[in-house]
Amino acid sequence: MSTLFGLIFFVGAIGLCVIGIAGIVLSRNLFRMVLALAIAEAGANLMLVLAGYRWDAVAPILAGTPATQPMVDPVPQAMVLTAIVIGVGVQALALSLVIRVKQRYATLDMREARQRMQDDLDREAGITPSRSQEQPAGERPLPPPSHVAVEAAGGGHD
Amino acid sequence: MTDITLTVVLPLLGAFLLPLTRDNALAWLGRLFGPLLLAVSAWILFMHWSTFSAPQVVILGGFAPPLGIVFYIDRLALLFALAVPLMTLLLWPGDAEKDALRRQSLTLLLAASLTGLALSGDLFNIYVFYELAAVASYGLVAGSGSAAGYLAAFRYLLVSALGSVIGLLGIGLIYFETGTLNLAHLATLSDELASPQGLAAFAMLVIGFGVKAELFPVNGWVPEVYAAANRRVAALLAGLASKLAVLVIVRVLLLVFPGEEARQLLLMLGILGVITGELAAWQARDLSRMLAWSSIGQLGIVFIAFSLPGEAGLIAGVAVAMHHLVVKTALFLLAERWGGSIDKLRGAAGVSALGAGLFVLFALSLLGLPPLPGFWSKFLVLGGLAEAATAMHYLAMTVVLTGTVLEGAYLLRVITTLYASPDDTSAPQSQKGSSLLASALLGVALIAAAVLIEPLWQTLGDIAAQGVDTAGYTQAVLGTVSGSAGS
Repeated sequence: MSTLFGLIFFVGAIGLCVIGIAGIVLSRNLFRMVLALAIAEAGANLMLVLAGYRWDAVAPILAGTPATQPMVDPVPQAMVLTAIVIGVGVQALALSLVIRVKQRYATLDMREARQRMQDDLDREAGITPSRSQEQPAGERPLPPPSHVAVEAAGGGHD
Repeated sequence: MTDITLTVVLPLLGAFLLPLTRDNALAWLGRLFGPLLLAVSAWILFMHWSTFSAPQVVILGGFAPPLGIVFYIDRLALLFALAVPLMTLLLWPGDAEKDALRRQSLTLLLAASLTGLALSGDLFNIYVFYELAAVASYGLVAGSGSAAGYLAAFRYLLVSALGSVIGLLGIGLIYFETGTLNLAHLATLSDELASPQGLAAFAMLVIGFGVKAELFPVNGWVPEVYAAANRRVAALLAGLASKLAVLVIVRVLLLVFPGEEARQLLLMLGILGVITGELAAWQARDLSRMLAWSSIGQLGIVFIAFSLPGEAGLIAGVAVAMHHLVVKTALFLLAERWGGSIDKLRGAAGVSALGAGLFVLFALSLLGLPPLPGFWSKFLVLGGLAEAATAMHYLAMTVVLTGTVLEGAYLLRVITTLYASPDDTSAPQSQKGSSLLASALLGVALIAAAVLIEPLWQTLGDIAAQGVDTAGYTQAVLGTVSGSAGS
């Protein structure tokens, strides 16, 4: 029974990590990326707890219990506590940055915001915007003739 | 002797006390506070360096290793730790700048955590210091206040946090396999990690800590962050922070994963880093992004060097890393006013002759012109590669040499532009006095290193001999169970 539970938890931890990483890679919305990050961190933390967990043991607190009883390894639990605290701080910072990006660029779409960032950086550096799918680099091979030019050319021959 | 933990504790304390001095009678004290703390840290580390006899262990909190956390002090750790306060002092954000106080306290936080990374001998402690350094650098990048800065910081945060999750999984895997996180204890158990699981854990750690070290697959954040952030922040991250992350990976490699596969992994990632970095730098059209991509290429060479076995690899790696630390910091300082389009730098030598001269000096050293230290560091790497003599190492040799040719192409393009006759449309700005002074200091250090190459060689040999001495490390940490606690 306990091995079955263990397996379920392990699969769950790996699944959370995969969901989180896939969410960060596939999502275009900045806020969803932060949520995906939180899910991935939860998966990693669950994995750490499982690394030292025993199903037949008690919590690693000395008060009250006889010291002979098997205890859960306290080290991963202490590490997970630290990791959770760090994770919360980083997520809060990420959200505050998302708010700032939304205020300045008025979008939560990563592709759009990134394009605008690249344009900003290029403008600041004083170079023409780098290549993008909408605006290929270089001149068009044959610029379409404007009406004025066509008429002027036609008028010259007459 | 003064306690070495002060070098971590003092800047950390300063980082949290400094914001209290905003807008009150203590403001004058706050202005002096940060540089003073960093100077004290540098002094303590220098005293340890000059009176160094044998590797020392500082037991934190009174719990003996392998259960407790230790600081391990050998010459390798001291060298990298000493670089931290010196570089942060050099790149200290001035009072005139916007948000100076916030940037100063974040810089102190970064200094404290990077020193901790250099000294720590416990994997989880390293993870915590690494996260502290990461948070400080997000703040520094976002501190530029521009919209691009915020988005660049956010994208950096995502990559870095994802890397941390993967690194944490790697740490968990190591704990699952061995039941310890003390590096010395892990070194004695390294046989248990010579398995596919162990290699997977190493790969996860490399990806996790590689984000800051600008390692190949996780360095997409580099160009945009260095272009969007303040140039001094870019110099701090490219020069200093990346080296400390490299040191962590090297420590783990030397102590815990002495196997051939781990080295092969680093070698491969290093080769890919050199190829991508140098090619992208060759394409770059503005100086700051060119320097950013070139720094990825240079760190690729650092990883190639550290992947070489034995003392020779460590000597070459430390030489390349320290050379890059000095040169890339100085180049980013010079890019503070010249960071824009390269075409707009025409005639910059006429505006600031010293700045252009320094740029030439650093560029030539980066390329590896013979009397300069850059030549010796690349020479050591190529020599080591030729000695290892497998197909992979010959490939790495070809890549490093080709990378040097590309480096030559783009750096000489900048140099010829600097000395070209100016066109009248737009004159380049003159260099800022403080950055010119700081890069001149680094230039003096570089020339001094070129002159004193013989004693430097000796010191490097000492550092490397201690660095590869795994038995000495475990003996020092695990042998002194009742050793000197703290002082």
